[in-house]
Amino acid sequence: MPYRYILLESLRQLRNVRSLAFTFVIPLVMLLIFGSLYGSSGQQEQRSGLPWLIVTTVQMASYGGMLAALSQAFAITTERSIGWNRQLRITPLSGVGYLVSKVAAALVVALCTIIVLCAVSIVVLGARMDALHWFTAILGIWIGVIPFALIAVALGQYARPSFAQPLFTVVFLGMAILGGLWIPLEVMPTWVISIAQTVPSYWLNKLGQIGANGAGNALLPIVILAAWTAALAALITWRYRRDAARA
Amino acid sequence: MQSWRGETARTDAGSMTAPAIRLTGLSKDFGPVHAVVDVDLQIDRGEVVALLGPNGAGKSTTIDLALGLSHPTAGTAQLFGGDPRAAIVDGRVGAMLQGGALLPDLTVAQTVALVASAHRAPLPVENALERAGILDLAARRVSKLSGGQLQRARFAVAVVSDPQLLILDEPTAAMDVESRRDFWLSMRQFTAEGRTVVFATHYLDEADFFADRIVILGAGRVVADGTPAEVKSVVSGRTIRFEVDSGDADAAAAMIPRLPGIRSHDRRTDRFTLVTDDSDRTLRALLTAVPSARDIEITAHSMDDAFLALTAEAVPLLTKAV
Repeated sequence: MPYRYILLESLRQLRNVRSLAFTFVIPLVMLLIFGSLYGSSGQQEQRSGLPWLIVTTVQMASYGGMLAALSQAFAITTERSIGWNRQLRITPLSGVGYLVSKVAAALVVALCTIIVLCAVSIVVLGARMDALHWFTAILGIWIGVIPFALIAVALGQYARPSFAQPLFTVVFLGMAILGGLWIPLEVMPTWVISIAQTVPSYWLNKLGQIGANGAGNALLPIVILAAWTAALAALITWRYRRDAARA
Repeated sequence: MQSWRGETARTDAGSMTAPAIRLTGLSKDFGPVHAVVDVDLQIDRGEVVALLGPNGAGKSTTIDLALGLSHPTAGTAQLFGGDPRAAIVDGRVGAMLQGGALLPDLTVAQTVALVASAHRAPLPVENALERAGILDLAARRVSKLSGGQLQRARFAVAVVSDPQLLILDEPTAAMDVESRRDFWLSMRQFTAEGRTVVFATHYLDEADFFADRIVILGAGRVVADGTPAEVKSVVSGRTIRFEVDSGDADAAAAMIPRLPGIRSHDRRTDRFTLVTDDSDRTLRALLTAVPSARDIEITAHSMDDAFLALTAEAVPLLTKAV
């Protein structure tokens, strides 16, 4: 594996201030609004027994991490359209190495987003949990973001630059709503809840909540997210092989 | 010094003597279009070769095939006696490709460093920038570069692996005359160390100035392969057209083959067309031998004429590979 390239590529995406502002700002503002709305009174969510503020923080950190990972799709479509990966083909970096670097960059950017959003919740909104639970919550969300890093790569592979934006919007809106990352799913009709259980964002949120709770069955979310990851990896590999064979 | 350190580490005994590039029966179709047709070409180490041809002649496709970026419909492409990909992974090949652009947000130094990080034994970034003559542009963003500066930045990217073979697809496109000259002067330094350079261009003067061998592609085939002097002779010829009075036409026709510099001639009743290597001498002699010649018109052969002639296989002037 070209570790040095993957490292530099991830740092490059982190330094990319414009896209970071985009991925940070929306979940940050939502966290501040919903966090102070639900958090000030110290209410608890009935089912998990977690304070609403923590539930909201996990939702927004999941949302931010997902958005950060998905936005790597734009990096890929842009690089494809200007011919950067054509340039990279004259290096030892393989096509798989390139895709791995994109997944890695997506995960690095997502992790930073998740940590910053949790930090804001602690510092600004006064969210309180012991360090171990913060750690498991962040870890849960981060693991849950993996399928989204792959979705970003797939979007980057399939979408033409002009089509990337609408496609991206549909994917992330659908994922945010169905995953219950914006509004708790409890207020939704039951058929929405049944659909929600098929999308990875639902399980991403779940895994974060389980992490924050320090209890609950993490196996089911992990199995479902792993299945998504495997399916997406197969799709990406298939597409990559087909593109390579057509050249 | 630098290059030898890398070379000994990378070269295996089996490919020590293999040519830098060997294309055998190479063809590439895009649907009904035959972009490259049965190309056989060997380029030895240390050669500096220009691939000359008009747009659509198959230069870029040939380069893509040689680099293994595109799969041939038939035939094989080898670099250093092996798979092109293996040579690229070894860092023995650098290239400036058509449609291979740099990221606009990065600085020149960041760009070179990012590409260097993908290579196994890259040069220091400053070293690559120095070779491209753009140390002063290190901190400039790619989006702020002029056309010529951008090409030099791409050159720095191409040499950062310290390659033995450099393939450049129209490297001086978007450069003005002065930057073109500077570019080729800095390339001289690169080839002086015994490296192989193959570049595509449609400027004959560029090929003449820098290459020691010119391969002309037309309609996907190698139509000529020779030294710059040989190729230039095809292009440097001039055409003289004139008319004579009807009564003098037969006498003129008899004189014409004896005029100096004549390469070929053609007669349509009273109208004559001569192709000459030395239009001045031919014309002086013509006016003496055929005083009634009038409506004289002299035109230089353009590169396009040469391509047309060569690709139509009407004028087999350079026959090495036709």
